[in-house]
Amino acid sequence: MAPPAQSQRSASPSQPSGKGEVSDLKSQLRQLAGSRAPGVDDSKRELFKKVISYMTIGVDVSSVFGEMVMCSATSDIVLKKMCYLYVGNYAKVNPDLALLTINFLQRDCKDEDPIIRGLALRSLCSLRVTNLVEYLVGPLGSGLKDNNSYVRMVAVIGVLKLYHISASTCIDADFPLTLKHLMLNDPDTQVVANCLSALQEIWSSEASTSEEASREREALLSKPIVYHLLNRIKEFSEWAQCLLLELVAKYVPSDSNDIFDIMNLLEDRLQHANGAVVLATVKVFLHLTLSMTDVHQQVYERIKAPLLTLVSSGSPEQSYAVLSHLHLLVMRAPFIFASDYKHFYCQYNEPSYVKKLKLEMLTAVANESNTYEIVTELCEYAANVDITIARESIRAVGKIALQQYDVNAIVDRLLQFLEMEKDYVTAEALVLVKDLLRKYPQWSHDCIAVVGSISTQNVQEPKAKAALIWMLGEYSQDMHDAPYILESLIENWDEEHSAEVRLQLLTAVMKCFFKRPPETQNALGAALAAGLADFHQDVHDRALFYYRLLQYNVSVAENVVNPPKQAVSVFADTQSSEIKDRIFDEFNSLSVVYQKNRSNSLVVGFIFTDTDKYLQPSYMFTDKEHRGPFEFSDELGNVSIGAESADNVVPANRVEANDKDLLLSTSEKDESRGPTHNGSAYSAPLYDSSSASISAANSLSELAISNPTSAGNASSSSLAIDDLLGLGLPATPAAAPSPAPAPLPPPLKLNPKAVLDPGTFQKKWRQLGISLSQEFSMSPQGVAALTTPQALLKHMQGHSIHCIASGGQSPNFKLFFFAQKAEESSNYLVECVINTSSAKAQIKIKADDQSTSQAFSDIFQSALSKFTVS
Amino acid sequence: MLQCIFLLSDSGEVMLEKQLTGHRVDRSICAWFWDHVISQGDSLKSMPVIASPTHYLFQIVREGITFLACTQVEMPPLMAIEFLCRVADVLSGYLGGLNEDLVKDNFVIVYELLDEMIDNGFPLTTEPNILREMIAPPNIVSKMLSVVTGNSSNMSDTLPGATASCVPWRTTDVKYANNEVYVDLVEEMDAIINRCITILIYTYNFTSSVDTLKRDWDSTILRFSLLHALLRDGVLVKCEIYGEVQVNSLLSGLPDLTLSFANPSILDDVRFHPCVRFRPWESHQILSFVPPDGQFKLMSYRVKKLKSTPIYVKPQLTSNDGTCRISVMVGIRNDPGKTIDSITLQFQLPPCVLSADLTANHGAVDILSNKMCSWSIGRIPKDKAPSLTGTMVLETGLERLHVFPTFQLGFRIMGIALSGLQIDKLDLKNVPSRLYKGFRALTRGGEYEVRS
Repeated sequence: MAPPAQSQRSASPSQPSGKGEVSDLKSQLRQLAGSRAPGVDDSKRELFKKVISYMTIGVDVSSVFGEMVMCSATSDIVLKKMCYLYVGNYAKVNPDLALLTINFLQRDCKDEDPIIRGLALRSLCSLRVTNLVEYLVGPLGSGLKDNNSYVRMVAVIGVLKLYHISASTCIDADFPLTLKHLMLNDPDTQVVANCLSALQEIWSSEASTSEEASREREALLSKPIVYHLLNRIKEFSEWAQCLLLELVAKYVPSDSNDIFDIMNLLEDRLQHANGAVVLATVKVFLHLTLSMTDVHQQVYERIKAPLLTLVSSGSPEQSYAVLSHLHLLVMRAPFIFASDYKHFYCQYNEPSYVKKLKLEMLTAVANESNTYEIVTELCEYAANVDITIARESIRAVGKIALQQYDVNAIVDRLLQFLEMEKDYVTAEALVLVKDLLRKYPQWSHDCIAVVGSISTQNVQEPKAKAALIWMLGEYSQDMHDAPYILESLIENWDEEHSAEVRLQLLTAVMKCFFKRPPETQNALGAALAAGLADFHQDVHDRALFYYRLLQYNVSVAENVVNPPKQAVSVFADTQSSEIKDRIFDEFNSLSVVYQKNRSNSLVVGFIFTDTDKYLQPSYMFTDKEHRGPFEFSDELGNVSIGAESADNVVPANRVEANDKDLLLSTSEKDESRGPTHNGSAYSAPLYDSSSASISAANSLSELAISNPTSAGNASSSSLAIDDLLGLGLPATPAAAPSPAPAPLPPPLKLNPKAVLDPGTFQKKWRQLGISLSQEFSMSPQGVAALTTPQALLKHMQGHSIHCIASGGQSPNFKLFFFAQKAEESSNYLVECVINTSSAKAQIKIKADDQSTSQAFSDIFQSALSKFTVS
Repeated sequence: MLQCIFLLSDSGEVMLEKQLTGHRVDRSICAWFWDHVISQGDSLKSMPVIASPTHYLFQIVREGITFLACTQVEMPPLMAIEFLCRVADVLSGYLGGLNEDLVKDNFVIVYELLDEMIDNGFPLTTEPNILREMIAPPNIVSKMLSVVTGNSSNMSDTLPGATASCVPWRTTDVKYANNEVYVDLVEEMDAIINRCITILIYTYNFTSSVDTLKRDWDSTILRFSLLHALLRDGVLVKCEIYGEVQVNSLLSGLPDLTLSFANPSILDDVRFHPCVRFRPWESHQILSFVPPDGQFKLMSYRVKKLKSTPIYVKPQLTSNDGTCRISVMVGIRNDPGKTIDSITLQFQLPPCVLSADLTANHGAVDILSNKMCSWSIGRIPKDKAPSLTGTMVLETGLERLHVFPTFQLGFRIMGIALSGLQIDKLDLKNVPSRLYKGFRALTRGGEYEVRS
């Protein structure tokens, strides 16, 4: 037998190191192929091992395909297995060569050893070559009737594999009905379980086209089938039990007897050693009893102990997954773990992701009876070596304080933190004391005494400094030194790098002025002067605004800046019960654990919006990145919408196309939600427009944009809630907006201040067809600079091309841009996918005016090519 | 359903790739993942479930090896994590440990195992007993055999009998000349002991202003009296036992066992191997089961709210002028009646400590490069109480130590289960002619930490 001629073809040029050795292997294999000498299997085995190890490290060894197949004529089962593995890996890329293997696989399917029959059948189905499906039907049919359960088990999954290669072949051969018969009659439970999983997948994806399939899918959830399977659940393997329990969770019981029957049957599953089984059972219990309030409460009691055991006995990874679910449960029923709070105490050795979740749990379960103990424990963590955890635990103390009525002991603790002389502890504590004072003004006396003794020199973090300054302003009547401290801060105006702090400083000095005018007058003048000269847009605006306000009427100014305030009774608890319910439906699904950290700082985030979020890696629409306290809920809501639909179609709703499609599907989900989120969107163009409305001069607004990660806009808007309530937008000063000089290549001119809201963008993106699709290379400098999408956004904005959404991480980025013609409101929408490892950019342009899309594409490309490390 | 499993070495190299479904997951996902891990600083810090731009990733790390699984569809997260944990357990059982070289040397076996453990992304069997019958482990015996007999297949020739038997975890045909069954109680004690309030309060008094002192006078006095109590004895914040009943069954045929405890009521929550029948436990707290062959974990349990610990640790830290004196005493608090051995004390020196000079009057003290300090005490001598003393030099500019180390205590007590759980009796239906029953107990320190 001659080796295939094209065998050298696919030796990858990127791995020259393996090439010589591969051809070496090839000739050695060929020598062995015909040999019948004793011990030949051993040498074959060594060679096969080498081939597979090359394959494993990523060297392309597809060139020895022919030789491998020739050598596979052996009775040695390990050799066979290695050969099957090899064939399975390369058949898809070498369909012609795969034909060679069909012969020997089919022969093995008739071997007398059931293991070989099974393995051969599995490999045969794993070839996944479309034009070979005709060879599959026969072996599969006899495999399903095999008298050995191992072979039947493999054949059932084989049917599913066949379905994914060619659905019609599978349906035509009537395999689904055979599987149904097997599911109800086979003595082996693994065969039954595999049938169930295969049928769920097949009928779900068939259901959209065939009425019969959708009826069959319904029938899977019918009482006889569910009961038939449930009665055998103890024989099932643990993983098959998970599968079955998933099915039962979707079953709609006919009456309460039904419910109790199932629960009695499954009761002992809660004691199973496998955590996945326990969690799936918990889900069944919760779902079955949703409509029976008192039983539902009993269920909470019943599931408590098994869940807590899972947390404390498993590996950290398991604890994490379980804790995420506990957090979900505790949101619905805070009382259930109230007496078991000690389970959520952090152990020293635990990874920080577990500790963080435990801190959240401790916050959530705190109530009147256990607050003291929990807060004592949290205070221990404040001295923790792990600084992030120390910070988180202080925040947790603050959250508990804001939830509780009896905050006596907590305030004490917080004040102790202030005196611990560790900068990060002081910083966190200051922020919390400020929040606390907004809710419990009656504590001001005690707090102010301690806060007054803190030197501003020791507080460096902007948030903490801003909090301290806020207190200085708010309580200046009680703090003896307040005007002088503020004055010294104003003297160092230029050294203060955070705009947030400077903004607070302006407001505080105003408040102080109204309370103690003679002492503060000088400081106020200095602050306003410094503010007016400030390069930061918002600081400048606020200083100007205060200045005008004071000029206009001092008492009005006082009403605006320092009105009598009411204590904040509830800090935004934004998770509506509806959303909680929706998440709850997703119990035991990925959406529960996925990106859990987003729920952090819900309470604090409302007041000083957490600017760190900008810096988090983003891979979805950027405007989702910044939705203040709502983002967690919205996002989970969104995920659960997507997941629900996936549920109806059952797991097989797979994205078969290439990897990037997942990105697209998320963004499309987003589009479908359309205008439900707006307003707080953080996208470059919106940013532009909103700050422009307050801005004095457009050139300055450019500056503000150039620094989007600084606290600027976010804090100003939240401060507006605090201080400028009811005022609306301040009047724009008279300075005329001068257009920013943008490079405008003729003949097409773009509008540098184009505005388009995400809703319109999405609508247009759906409406318009692609007018141009191109792929081109990027310069290496550009690729090097593209570590985050943000850098590119700013650059493109300089070329009047605005980004509406961006995402992805190295090496793949996906960005959506838009631009407007200068003279008319004709839009260009661009989807740009950049792969930095191959230095390729792919753009799809949609345009209102399709005739100019080529011109626009040129502008876009030239802009992109100028992008380098700034 | 999982789409792909990767095994990565501790340098991020792909050691093994197993595609599970028709959707081929590109290897570049591993590069993405590794970048992500590096950006988190430490693989232990990155979360077990990560959403990459294209896939959801599950990861667990065992002995430096990352087990990474990818999926694009919704699935129960714990199922994926639990499965990866099982894969790690099975591999480490097969290879006699887990490290990069072992995996690379035996990757064919790893492939074979994965092939039987998961098909088309859905886990099939992870029961080590069944897997062992399908794929022989690469032990020295089988290597010897292959040399002697020339038959080098590490594949058993027979089909796993279990797939045909009505007891899925047991093969039908087991024969032993000597019938033996061993039951081990293995317990781990987890405890948290606090004893740090002293320093906090002193700091508090000296630095706070006069009015705060006045305001807090009452509570301070209260705390001082509390303090004296604390100095004598640490506060036991939490103490519980996690225990396992491990059985090694070497019995012929289909043995039916019952195991009962003298005091089952102390158990707070129990989890069973699938072989345990539920009803007898519900009604009489009796474990009735047909065991798998060989070693397995029959049940695990927790005992909450224990009142005492066997060993005390008394750390004292006093700092002034940029140095901190440390003294730690360790001794027996409640003698369990059996020897306590392998006592070790570990703690991480705070990052602000520049250097430390520590000596012990018993046992050896080591300071590792990552500032982990480890004191191996062994047994506590009769004539003296072991103590560790020394000074730590703090960073310049730092007067006092603000971050206090947590001491982690390890120990082992043979012959006793500290929870007090006692096995009453083990019975066998159809007693074979020669039967040997063995019982053992052992308690270890688990997450046993003392805060200073």
